Amino acid sequence: MDVYASGPLLELNKAVPSFDESGLPPVPFSMKLMPGDCMVIEARDIGHATMFADLCCGLVPLDDGSVRFMGLDWADLGDRELNALRGRIGRVTHRASWPEFVPVHLAIVLQQLHHTTRPIDVLVHDAARLAESFGLPGLPTQNPSFLPEEDLVRAGCVRAFLGRPHLLLLEDPLESGPAELSNSFLAAITEARDRGAGVIWLVRNNAVWQEYRQGITATWRLADDGLVAVRMG
Amino acid sequence: MSETDPQAPQSFPPPTDTTRDPVLAGQTGQGGLFAPVQWGLGRLAWIGRLTRRQARFLLIMLGASWGVIFESFRAHSWRRTVRYEFVSTMNNIIRGGLVATMFAGVLTGLAAVSQVIYWLGLTGLATMTGSILINIVVREIAPILVGVLLLGRNGMLSTTELGLLSIGGEIRSMQAVGIDPFLLLVLPRTLAFTVAGFTLGILFSFASLVTGYVMSRMSGVINNPVWVFLDDVAAAMSGTDYVIIPLKFITVGFVVGLGGCLTGLTATSEDSLRTLLPRGFSRGMLIVMVVSVLFSLDL
Repeated sequence: MDVYASGPLLELNKAVPSFDESGLPPVPFSMKLMPGDCMVIEARDIGHATMFADLCCGLVPLDDGSVRFMGLDWADLGDRELNALRGRIGRVTHRASWPEFVPVHLAIVLQQLHHTTRPIDVLVHDAARLAESFGLPGLPTQNPSFLPEEDLVRAGCVRAFLGRPHLLLLEDPLESGPAELSNSFLAAITEARDRGAGVIWLVRNNAVWQEYRQGITATWRLADDGLVAVRMG
Repeated sequence: MSETDPQAPQSFPPPTDTTRDPVLAGQTGQGGLFAPVQWGLGRLAWIGRLTRRQARFLLIMLGASWGVIFESFRAHSWRRTVRYEFVSTMNNIIRGGLVATMFAGVLTGLAAVSQVIYWLGLTGLATMTGSILINIVVREIAPILVGVLLLGRNGMLSTTELGLLSIGGEIRSMQAVGIDPFLLLVLPRTLAFTVAGFTLGILFSFASLVTGYVMSRMSGVINNPVWVFLDDVAAAMSGTDYVIIPLKFITVGFVVGLGGCLTGLTATSEDSLRTLLPRGFSRGMLIVMVVSVLFSLDL
């Protein structure tokens, strides 16, 4: 992964999301995420957290303001550029994201297969290594409905961190995942930040990220009046 | 005043769409002189909504057809994920539908071809056998039956799969990581249906003609060897038939695939399999019939 170092990785500049399209409060959202930063955003509503992640991906139309990723305004890009840029984002989401007719191992590498020309053997090797680090015995080859929920959470982490994404939008996997996932998840975040990736960690429970307190660069709360800074005292 | 009081004056709701909405119903009650005008406007709006709803899918089909054709000629569209989806869908359709198509071809041969040959022989028009077979079985019956088989076996499957992905939110999740569902799912599946429509259509035609020949030979109506029979059939084909017949198979496959995918992809959160499947089937049947009729018109 080439390290992006020409300014903020993600910048919300008084971005007012369309309420009809997202359900997010139509107020200006402003924040900056630099490469290597890890930002925690508390959102009590899971739906709002997902929509906020969509806002960062340029999926939510804006009434005003702008959202820039790697210096590029989502609104100025054509479909191809949009999709190519979104290919550099790794996501763990609470929204359904495992197509039932696609085996899990294929769904994990799908994003990388689609956006890169990396050989499939290399991708599978990397995915298997990540799977083991997240506590799976290997790459799961079953269909999603045959996999326990906890293993799907682990597989979701593998998919998000695969391919060394520039930005990680993580809707807290620790909440629904097994307790032993915590260490490997925090280690993966640290490793990603060390190579220059930005991390937005959307949590519902304040206690979840306390273990990683020292590593957090900023904390926000997603409230009805937008993003509110939270003191890390 | 009780609800069962026979003396109570009965009030009927106004005959407009607003009767289900107490707020709007209250507003119409204050219409006074403007009530007829409002009623007329309401009717006009209803007609407009109906027209737009009916025309919407047609417009989506036209736009998506152009999109599939345009994207299929761009090398950049053929990423390995798209190639994988194309090959796997094509294998599923052709391998899965081969036996059913051949069986349908044999049944058509038994029912239609043997009858055609028999009655033409009886009326002394045996020399027209090839022409009749080409015009009726290969040009008219084969595309419709192959289209129905494609729709039933694979078109409905695509509608269901894509519909469930749309309703469940997986399509949105794909978009969030830069995977365009049109490129990944609609383009390869539609083209796979196109290739499969041609392949199965030719196999169907061949199976029905050979079965018809066998039946007629066994019943003693014709005594020519099979290659003479096939030569008669080939001789009866005009230059246009060599273009129209494959084009009809290709188009039927294309529209069945595209229609199935789009019906699934345009499903909303209010849809379920109960609404999606009947819609997909009726649209598919309509599309097959429209294509068949359009190609049969002597314009």
